[in-house]
Amino acid sequence: MTDTKQMPDAPADNNTPTHAIDIKALGRGRNIRQIADETPCLQVQGLNLFYGKKQALHNIDMVIPKQRVTAYIGPSGCGKSTLLRCINRMNDLVDGVHIDGQILLDDLNIYDKSVNVADLRRRVGMVFQKPNPFPKSIYENVAYGLRLQGVKDRRTMDEVIENALKSAALWDEVKDRLHDSAFGLSGGQQQRLVIARAIAIEPEVLLLDEPASALDPISTLKIEELIYELKNKYTIVIVTHNMQQAARVSDYTAFMYMGKLIEYGDTNTLFTNPHQKQTEDYITGRYG
Amino acid sequence: MIRQWFKSGNPWIWLTASAVSVSLILVFGLLLLIAARGLGHFWPATVWEYDYKNQDNNMTRLVGEIHDEELVDAQRLREAGLILESNEDVTRYLLKTGNRDVLGQDFRWILKPRIQSMRTPETLLTIERREWGNLYGYLTAVQENRQTVAEGEDAWKSLQLRLQRATTLFAQIRELEKGEIGSINYGLERLRLRERKLELENNTDPAEQENIIQERAAFNADYGSLQKRLADLYTEINRDQMIVTVSTGETVAVPLAKVVHAFRPNAMSVLDKLGFYMAKVWEFVSDEPREANTEGGIFPAIFGTVMMVIIMSIMVVPFGVVAAVYLREYAKQGPLTQLIRIAVNNLAGVPSIVYGVFGLGFFVYFLGGNLDQLFFPEALPTPTFGTPGLLWASLTLALLTVPVVIVATEEGLSRIPKSVREGSLALGATKAETLWRTVLPMASPAIMTGLILAIARAAGEVAPLMLVGVVKLAPSLPLDGNMPFLHLDRKFMHLGFHIYDVGFQSPNVEAARPLVYATALLLVLVIVALNLTAIAIRNRLREKYRSLEN
Amino acid sequence: MGTGNISHHISQQFNEDLQAIRHKVLTMGGLVEEQIENATTALVSGNVEQAEGVISRDYQVNAFEVAIDEESIQILARRQPAAGDLRLIVAIIKTITDLERMGDQAEKVARMAIHLAGMERPKNQYSELEHLSDQVRKMLRGSLDAFARMDAEAAANVAQEDLKVDAEYDAIMRQMITFMMEDPRNVRRTLDTMWSARALERIGDHARNICEYVIYLVKGKDVRHISLEELSKEASN
Repeated sequence: MTDTKQMPDAPADNNTPTHAIDIKALGRGRNIRQIADETPCLQVQGLNLFYGKKQALHNIDMVIPKQRVTAYIGPSGCGKSTLLRCINRMNDLVDGVHIDGQILLDDLNIYDKSVNVADLRRRVGMVFQKPNPFPKSIYENVAYGLRLQGVKDRRTMDEVIENALKSAALWDEVKDRLHDSAFGLSGGQQQRLVIARAIAIEPEVLLLDEPASALDPISTLKIEELIYELKNKYTIVIVTHNMQQAARVSDYTAFMYMGKLIEYGDTNTLFTNPHQKQTEDYITGRYG
Repeated sequence: MIRQWFKSGNPWIWLTASAVSVSLILVFGLLLLIAARGLGHFWPATVWEYDYKNQDNNMTRLVGEIHDEELVDAQRLREAGLILESNEDVTRYLLKTGNRDVLGQDFRWILKPRIQSMRTPETLLTIERREWGNLYGYLTAVQENRQTVAEGEDAWKSLQLRLQRATTLFAQIRELEKGEIGSINYGLERLRLRERKLELENNTDPAEQENIIQERAAFNADYGSLQKRLADLYTEINRDQMIVTVSTGETVAVPLAKVVHAFRPNAMSVLDKLGFYMAKVWEFVSDEPREANTEGGIFPAIFGTVMMVIIMSIMVVPFGVVAAVYLREYAKQGPLTQLIRIAVNNLAGVPSIVYGVFGLGFFVYFLGGNLDQLFFPEALPTPTFGTPGLLWASLTLALLTVPVVIVATEEGLSRIPKSVREGSLALGATKAETLWRTVLPMASPAIMTGLILAIARAAGEVAPLMLVGVVKLAPSLPLDGNMPFLHLDRKFMHLGFHIYDVGFQSPNVEAARPLVYATALLLVLVIVALNLTAIAIRNRLREKYRSLEN
Repeated sequence: MGTGNISHHISQQFNEDLQAIRHKVLTMGGLVEEQIENATTALVSGNVEQAEGVISRDYQVNAFEVAIDEESIQILARRQPAAGDLRLIVAIIKTITDLERMGDQAEKVARMAIHLAGMERPKNQYSELEHLSDQVRKMLRGSLDAFARMDAEAAANVAQEDLKVDAEYDAIMRQMITFMMEDPRNVRRTLDTMWSARALERIGDHARNICEYVIYLVKGKDVRHISLEELSKEASN
C-alpha cells in the first residue's frame, strides 16, 4: 500500500514556507550547457578517413570537453565507431586506411610521426563491445597494463588493482577470488573487469565502444551508473546505438549520419529540441 | 523399404562406424601381433629332449627349444632330398638346439614322425652365455680353479651361489672398464688433442709442455692402479667354471664369467617363470646388446632414440614457431607469403631419404667440415663434427618436421580472436608484447599439437638417420659423466634402425626374429609414451587457455 | 498497485532528479499557500501594501511553473520513465498548472482587496471570506501533504472537503444577493466580495484536482469527472 515516507522538505506548518531555492536561478534554459564554456580535452579538426577508395568520415570537426561524457549516436554504418577508433589510432590496424586531418590531445596531433602509438594508447584507453578479458586470472587481467609499464613491486600492484576494481564497482564481488580465471565471471562482471583493467593505468580519456550492448538491462544500468562516477576523473567518449542510453548517460551528444557530423550539442537540447531535422527524424524513429 | 532406409541416412552412419571399427581393429591387431610375437621371447621356454631317428635311420638324441611348427607338403620335402614313408603332409618343428660351439649351428628342423620319444627332464639346464649363444645340457660338476668342488645334485646349489658372485664381479669389471678406465682414456685423448693444438699453433711454451707431461703421468699412474685392480677382478672371476654334458655326450667347460643366466626351465613353477620373465624384460630395456645385437638388451637404442627426439624438439619448436609468427603476424599477406607457405607445405612431402642426403652433404660435410677446420683442427684428420653424429641427425629430423610445426602454429595463431589482440593493444602494448604475453600462450596448445606430430614423424623415420648419425653398435652413450657431458658429435643407436639391423643384418635371422618384434613393440611404446606426455601437457594448456568461446 | 518508493533506482542521478523536482513542487505549493494567506489577510484587514506585495510576487509562481515544466520534459526525454515514475512526472506537470492557476486566483483576491480597502467595511469584517479562505488553504495543504506522502486515501478525504467548500460558497452567494437586494448602495462592494469568494472557491476546485492527480499517481486510476463517492472507493482499493 502507500508509503508513509516523509519528504524532508514537506511543508510542516502553514506559515513558514521553505524557499530553499533561489528564484533567480529558476527560469528558462537553466539546464543547457555550452561546449564553448568547457575545457577541451580532444579536438578533432578536419578529419577525413578513407578505407581504400571509400570515404568513411567526412570533414569532422568537434571539440570533446574534459571530464564530461560525450556520446556518439547514429544509425548503423554512420561512422561513429570509426571515429571513436581514430582517437586511439586503432584504425591503424586495418589495412588500407588513410586519414587526413588531425586530432589534438592536449595540443599535440596524435597522428604526428613522432607520436609513439603505444604511449598514446596508454593515455587513451578503450573498452570494446564484447567483453574481452584475457585468459588469465582476474588479478593478472588488471595487472596486465601495469606490467607493461614495468611495475614490479607486489604491494604497489595490489594497491592499484584494488583501487581499480573498487572504481569499477567490482571489488566486493571478486575480492575473495582474485586468482580465479576471469572467464568465471558473468558478462556484466567481465565488462566491469575490462573497465577496471583500462583504468588501472590511469588514462586521461576512456573510449567506450557500445560497452553495454552485449549485456542484460540490469548490467547495462550498472555500467551506466559506473560511467556517471568515472566522469569525475576521466573524459569519456561513448558510442552507442541505444539512443535512450545516450540520453541517460551523456552530457553532450553528437549525431552522425553517413560519415558526417550532423549535430553536436548539449544532450538536453538535442533530445528535447534538436536543431536539425535529420536529428529529429532519427530520434523520433522516423527512419532506421 | 530399402529406399526408405537409404533415405534416412542410416547407411552413412553404418559406413562411418565400420570405417572407424576397421581402423581400430587394424591398430589394435597390429599391436597385439607385435606384442604376442615379441613378449613371448622372454618367457623361459620348455626344453625338450628327443630320441630322434635320423635320415640314415640312426637314433640320436636331440635337446632344444621348439621355436616354430609347420605343416609341409610331402612332395616338397622329397624334392629337398628327404626320404619319407607316407605321402601325407608332414609336421615339422624348428628346434633351437643352441650349442653352436659344439654342433656348428643353432637351429634345425626335425620331422615329427621321426620323433621316437620325447621328454622334459627337470634337470636339463639352459645356459645363456655371453658368447656362442645358448647351451643346453646337464650339469655334471662345478669346478674351482679347475678342481671339482661339487657334483651331482649339490652342483646345482653350488652353481647358483657362484653364479651370483660371478655376476656381481662382472658388474664391477664393467663399471671399472666403462667408467673409470673410460674416463682416463677420455682424459688422455683430450690431452693428446691439446698437444696437437699447441703444435698447430706453433706454441712451444715450456710451461704448457710441462703441464701436459705431468697430467699424462698422472693419468698413466691412475691407469696403472686401475689396471691392477682389473687384473685382480679378472683373476677372481675366472676362478669358477662348470662342466656340462650335452646331447652328443660331450662335456663342455663353461667359465662362469661367460654365463649370464643358468636355469632349469622344466623345473620352474609358473611363479618362478613369471619372476624370470620380469627379470628378462628388465634386462631387455636396461642392458646392453650382445652377440651382434641378437642377445641382451637395447638400452642404448632407447636412450639414443629419446635423446635424439628431445634434441630435435628443442631445435624444431623455436625455429618453427618463429617462422610461423613471422608468416602470420609480421609479413604482408600477399603472393610472396602464399608462395612461402606453399613451399613449406611441399617440404613436408619430400621423401625422408632425400633429407638424409641433404643432411649428409650440407650438415655433415659442409658445416661439419668447416666446424672442424675452425674449432677442432687438432683432431684432424679424424673428424669431430665432420662426420655423422647426434647433432646432425637431430638437425636433419628437425628440418624434416619443421613444416608440420609451422602449419600447426599458424593454424593456432589464426584461431585467436581479434578481440584479445585488440584488447592488449588498446592497453598500450606493442605488437611484440601482445604476441609474447597473450597470443603465443593462447596458441601453445596448437604448438604442442605441432610438436606431437613432429615427434610422431621423427621417431619413426629411419632412412635419413642411417646417413647422418646412427650406427649398429655405439661404444658409448651420447650422455655420460665426462665433460662436456653431452657429446653431440657422437654416433648413437636408434630403435628403428635396430629393428632393421636385427631383422635383416644379423648373422642368425631366425634367432633374432622374436627380438625384432620385441624391439618394435618397445619402439611403439616409447612413441606412445612421448605422445601421451605431450598430449597431457597440451590438455593442461588447453584448460588454462580455454578461449572466449562463450 | 501502490507506487511504493520513488527512490532506489540503480541510477543515483535519476533519484536525485526526482527528489529535486518533488522538492520544487512542494516549494511552489508552499509559495502559493503563502500568497493565498497574504491576499486574504490583506482583504480582511484592508492592507493595501500587503495586497500589492502579493501581486508583485506572482511572477515567482510563474517562474516555478516554467522551470518545473522544463525539468519535467527533460526527465521525460532523458530518462524515459515508466510506470510509477511516468505517472509521477505527468502528475507533476498537471499539478503545477493547477498551482499556477491558484496563484493567479490569489492575485485576483489581492486586487479585490485593493478595491475593497477603499470602501466601507461590512459589519462582519469579511469573516465569511476568511473562513472560506481557511478552508481552501486547508485543502491545499492537505493535497500537498498527500502528494508528499503519496497517500491516496488522504487525497480522497481532502477531495471530499470540496463539497463543504461548494456549500459554503453557495451560502455566501445567497447572503451577498440578500445584501444587494437590501441596499443597492452595497452592490459594488458586494460584487467585489462575490468575485473574491468565487476566486477562493476556484482554489478549492484546483485543490481537488491535485487530489485527483495524487490518486492517479498512487493508484494508477484516472478519477477525474466521477462522483466523489466513486472517487473514495477507487482511492481505498
